[in-house]
Amino acid sequence: MVWESLIGLIELLIFPGVFFIFWLALTYEWIDRKFYAKLQNRYGPLHVGAKGFWQPLADFIKLMVKEDIIPAASDRLLFTLTPIFLLTLSLTAFFFVPIVPLLRDVALASFEGDLILVIFLLTMIAVVKFLGAWGSTNIFGAVGGVRLAFQLLGYEIPLAICLVSPAIVAGSLSISIIAQYVGSNIIVAIALLPALAVSIVCFQAELERIPFDIPEAEQEIVAGWLTEFSGRRLALIRLSIDVELALASALLAALFLGGPYGPIIPFLPVQVSYFIWFIIKATIILLIFSNIRTLFARLRIDQMVHFSWKNLTIISLLEIVLIQALLAGGVI
Amino acid sequence: MSEKEVGTAFEVPIGPQHPALKEPILLLFKVDGDIVVDVWPRIHTHRGIEKATESRNYIQNIYLCERVCGICSFIHTLVYTQGVEKLLDIEAPPRAQYIRVIVSELERIHSHTLWLGVAAHELGFDTLFYYVWRDREVVMDLLELISGNRVNYAISTIGGVRRDISPEVADKIRKGLDILEKRMDVYKGVVEKEPTLRERVVGVGKLSPQDAIALCAVGPTLRMTGVKRDVRADDPYQAYDEIPFNVITYPTGDVLSQIIVRVGEVYESINIIRYALDHMPSGPIKVKVPWYIPPNEVISRGEAPRGELFYYLKSNGTEKPERVKIRTPTLANIPSVCKMLIGCHVADIPIIFAGIDPCLSCTGRFAFIDEKKNKSWIWNNEELKRYSLKWYGKA
Repeated sequence: MVWESLIGLIELLIFPGVFFIFWLALTYEWIDRKFYAKLQNRYGPLHVGAKGFWQPLADFIKLMVKEDIIPAASDRLLFTLTPIFLLTLSLTAFFFVPIVPLLRDVALASFEGDLILVIFLLTMIAVVKFLGAWGSTNIFGAVGGVRLAFQLLGYEIPLAICLVSPAIVAGSLSISIIAQYVGSNIIVAIALLPALAVSIVCFQAELERIPFDIPEAEQEIVAGWLTEFSGRRLALIRLSIDVELALASALLAALFLGGPYGPIIPFLPVQVSYFIWFIIKATIILLIFSNIRTLFARLRIDQMVHFSWKNLTIISLLEIVLIQALLAGGVI
Repeated sequence: MSEKEVGTAFEVPIGPQHPALKEPILLLFKVDGDIVVDVWPRIHTHRGIEKATESRNYIQNIYLCERVCGICSFIHTLVYTQGVEKLLDIEAPPRAQYIRVIVSELERIHSHTLWLGVAAHELGFDTLFYYVWRDREVVMDLLELISGNRVNYAISTIGGVRRDISPEVADKIRKGLDILEKRMDVYKGVVEKEPTLRERVVGVGKLSPQDAIALCAVGPTLRMTGVKRDVRADDPYQAYDEIPFNVITYPTGDVLSQIIVRVGEVYESINIIRYALDHMPSGPIKVKVPWYIPPNEVISRGEAPRGELFYYLKSNGTEKPERVKIRTPTLANIPSVCKMLIGCHVADIPIIFAGIDPCLSCTGRFAFIDEKKNKSWIWNNEELKRYSLKWYGKA
């Protein structure tokens, strides 16, 4: 009993819990920056660690010790709570994503219906960002916050529909069970590819990356909703954005590619094999995210909402129809 | 100017410090929702270069005029030295004129590719920005090869040019131009085909030809409305009357046509340089000029990358000019860009403003307009000094 709770504690705090998630988030920021730079014919981070590996951590530490300014006109409570809430929400959502099941055969936290909770948390992250922007009472922050809320109207519906489509196939609303089902059934994964594509586009908007980096468009509104944040608060927000990026990669890998579940690699403990599959799949999703960033110019907010409702929502609804047809036909 | 309107409209200040602006200008926007309903430009720069020219001799002024603008530095020396030659009623030798054309067209390529990168950056298309600026290094290296410098070439002087172009250098220029032309084909393809980029530039920042002419737009900002007007063709200077080239225009008058006109001009410049290298006459590159310039009064014009550059020169028989007046293209384009900005989305402000290729370092001049009393006047340095002393109660 003591042994089990000790392992549980290690799982929660070190692996695959908080510490590992932070490490993964910073590593993914590094991969993202490095890959993005390579595609643009640049070097990217170079100096801290081998090939600049520790640059995201160094940035984080630097921001932590910088002066922390709270604007006199801002809503102090809202301004203080935003970074904490952002980090908490994205971490909480990550606990439901299966990485390496050590004790149980599921993620750190899991219950029937946790997919709905994760979708809710993703929406809450956007709402908290909007409140933080509003609380900072800066004209650029306000414009950024409003754009963020508009963008949420655009991508939220198709994203939710797409994330639920594997649940329909698996007959469960638990991410861990869905991952197990999809991981053992490659035809399902192929049938879900359109939904994966739409989700990647939607997450590009959720994560505010090109072509949907409208809420923090540097050339237009300085830093958008982030404008007034500095020092510790900015460090925490940046970390939570990284965690969100890793969360998006891991969540899509779990729902559409089976997460840690795949063919067992011989001569390795099953846990290690799970871990390798998880890293491979999540990193592939991450590289797709980075690649999209290099390909486009930034859309305008009205164009973005038009695009989501005219294309993404339709495709996601068609995907549901397709899956139902395949299920009825007994193909999957 | 800064009264706050109560109601749906609110004010968004862009500048004087803003990520989209590389140089200081304040554009105060009155915004209704996401639509710009009014704009007040306020130019901050004043460097006193015109006054400074009056206390230096003609040779020193070449280097001062070169520093009016960091990007179109050559065209300033060209128009200035051309003006001084007109004061003396002489002309530079033909070979010098061809070298001047070659350098000024290389400068146009460098300025337009720089602009294309900046425009891509303002649209959030950083990949295009990095690639364009990488290939811009080719033309920068060519300019360094010819003149020894990357930015201030110091090649034009009164009565000719200071350096010749040898056949080996000419070959290297030809090779560099081939690389540039190939790369420009790629970027032309990107501009024509990339859907997210087109969505941001088609129909954005509209300007009609009538408005462009009425507001005295110059350069690509005028030509993008379809008006065929170019100092190089209309009032040829240097060797431009001997070199065949097209004036690029595009009828739509939006940001897309700005891009297409500038990309087209890069191709034209490449062809002009090739023609000039092939047909360059031999002979001296410089004639001797007297130190004292007899009293005279001239204007000198040239087509800078951003539009018509205008110099007014007055000499009084000494080694220093009596008056030098510079009218730079960006100043001429500010009224048109304010017209283009009205009715646009907040998100389109950076690209529309960047569309005229603003170069604010050369924009500030002494001109005062009192909107309330509806009168305008011009002050010289002395009067401004007196006014400032009076203002602070020290006179």
